[in-house]
Amino acid sequence: MSTASQTLRLALVGNPNCGKTALFNLLTGSRQKVANYAGVTVERKEGRLHTPGGRQFALLDLPGAYSLQAASLDEAVTRDVCRGFYPGEPAPDLLVCVVDATNLRLHLRFALEVRALGKPMVVALNMMDAARRRGIGIDLQALQRELGVPVVETVAVRRDGGKALLAQLDAMADHLHPPAPRDADDPHSDMHVELHAETRRLLALAVTMPTRTARVDDALDRWLLHPVVGLLTLAVVMFLIFQAVYAWAGPLMDGIEAGTGWLGDALGARMPEGPLKSLMVDGIIAGLGGVIIFLPQILILFAFILVLEESGYLPRAAFLLDRMMAAAGLSGRSFIPLLSSFACAIPGIMATRSIQDPRDRLATIMVAPLMTCSARLPVYALLIGAFVPDEKIGIFNQQGLVLFGLYAAAIVSALMVSWVMKKWRRDKSEHALMLELPSYRIPHPRDVLIGLWERGMIFLKRVGGIILALTILLWFLLTFPGAPPDAVGPAIDYSFAGRIGHAMTAVFAPLGFNWQICIALIPGLAAREVAVSSLATIYALSAADDDAAIQALTPVISDGWSLATALSLLVWFIYAPMCISTLATIKRETNSWKQMGFAAFYLFGLAYIASLVTYQVAVALGAG
Amino acid sequence: MSPQLSLTLQYILIALAVAVSAWVVFRKQAPNAARSLRIALALPLLREHRPAWLRAFGKRIAPAPKASADGCGGCNNCETGPSS
Repeated sequence: MSTASQTLRLALVGNPNCGKTALFNLLTGSRQKVANYAGVTVERKEGRLHTPGGRQFALLDLPGAYSLQAASLDEAVTRDVCRGFYPGEPAPDLLVCVVDATNLRLHLRFALEVRALGKPMVVALNMMDAARRRGIGIDLQALQRELGVPVVETVAVRRDGGKALLAQLDAMADHLHPPAPRDADDPHSDMHVELHAETRRLLALAVTMPTRTARVDDALDRWLLHPVVGLLTLAVVMFLIFQAVYAWAGPLMDGIEAGTGWLGDALGARMPEGPLKSLMVDGIIAGLGGVIIFLPQILILFAFILVLEESGYLPRAAFLLDRMMAAAGLSGRSFIPLLSSFACAIPGIMATRSIQDPRDRLATIMVAPLMTCSARLPVYALLIGAFVPDEKIGIFNQQGLVLFGLYAAAIVSALMVSWVMKKWRRDKSEHALMLELPSYRIPHPRDVLIGLWERGMIFLKRVGGIILALTILLWFLLTFPGAPPDAVGPAIDYSFAGRIGHAMTAVFAPLGFNWQICIALIPGLAAREVAVSSLATIYALSAADDDAAIQALTPVISDGWSLATALSLLVWFIYAPMCISTLATIKRETNSWKQMGFAAFYLFGLAYIASLVTYQVAVALGAG
Repeated sequence: MSPQLSLTLQYILIALAVAVSAWVVFRKQAPNAARSLRIALALPLLREHRPAWLRAFGKRIAPAPKASADGCGGCNNCETGPSS
């Protein structure tokens, strides 16, 4: 077949997280999003590739797939494009099957499936540098001979990492041949058994695993994947992570708080009195400072997640929890997104992209906002400090137990909601969890730092973008219109937000919420923690930041509110969908207004009913 | 600068900040509606008989053509791309 005069169509295929998108970027000079979790690409992307030989190729980056027997929408896209069944998409002339050289046991299986399609193909052994570092030996010639297709090395994260692939493309562009049919390609044979057997045979022939690594993996897995010891170890790891998130973040948070306080003071001293100063100091600096303060917690949590991810432990944690979460309508893959949601629901919801099954993914998205994000902490701290005595029950601190109870209530609620959703959709199907269990390794500090930098920049970009814009709008709503000259109440009563707050009491009075709380719920729509500063403003206290607001607010609310109101508000914050960004992320990730509306409705309904019951029961018991 | 003028200037700056913020929130939360609005605003300004400066202004507020598959990689930077 002569193809010199035409632009050939190449398709990059492979398992999730094998580096297809990184290779696509390297070859096309594109800047597609790359991440070290599976599921970054969920639809096909196209770019142009120019080889050193002067040829031009149209390069498709297809979604990752564990098998061509599609179990999800993105796998179906890959299958259909590869087979030439995708509507409006010509079949690719050549398939480049990207495999992770450090995990050939899983990835070769898919390469064999692709090979069975009978289309011209090249196998790109990606991450060869990492494989060498780990002592994995791969006999390229043997692999090429046994597979019957060209096999080349690639390192997608290096500038010259695609050289061998480009040379191979130049060499074979004029004469594309499908691979010769083999016994394993027989459609009548038991495909799964054949594939596994063939993979094992190829590994035995062409791959040498370091025996030490295999021994260490087996020894660790014996304990870490044990149904009892493994779960206990996981519980201890999680406990230590949360302890560290709260214990280690303190000094850094204090530093940021002091920094924003100093900035506010310095700017305030240099600006003339007036609305602009209020906007800058009370609005932008205090508002953004109140959000940036949580950066250390987020980074510490992500540092642990990245270390666990790099070490190879996270997939094992997902494996351990699969059965328990499946009973509640989730899957083991939900574990990591839900863990992320303890810092903030937004990265948690985004992390659900790695969940293949769309129903599991949707269920995880729906319950992710129930996880206690760090933005709720100031509210919990304020209310617990005001209403729960600082006394000990045995060796446990009573306030700490209440805080733990709030976290536990959120987790139990999330499991119950997902269970109800499973029953609601009458889903009795079993979704097998297919996960890579990579070898354990010591995380590379550089990789962890790069990951942290990326996470930090994403957060800061949000702070400087949508959160800044919302902060300015909220300040406007809380400031304008000003009080009339004959005003008797605080100016905020006359503001847009104040009027809305008074109107809201008609709905929230049965929950024990007064008009001040109702007003605080409005800025809480942008970020939950803003409710604390807002309460301080509403009570006309001059609080420069959240901590100061907490100190000053505590006696005011403990005197002014009943215990029933405080309990009702605590319960409200467990469930309430009071974060526009989370709802916007749900909309973006599900691409559905309906799902976003459902999330907002069910969270609001749950919050309202739970708070109503809490308040009414508390009043009946004499706490009103 | 007199205090009155200073106050006027402050309100102008606040109005600008609020308008830009409202636009940013609108564009982020409703990108398709924002795009339609930009087109609706730009089209009358781009008519032949309009002065050159108005047409130039119309070109500035008109949205860029929707990226093709080659250009839009779903990187989420524009927040209008497909979820990937």
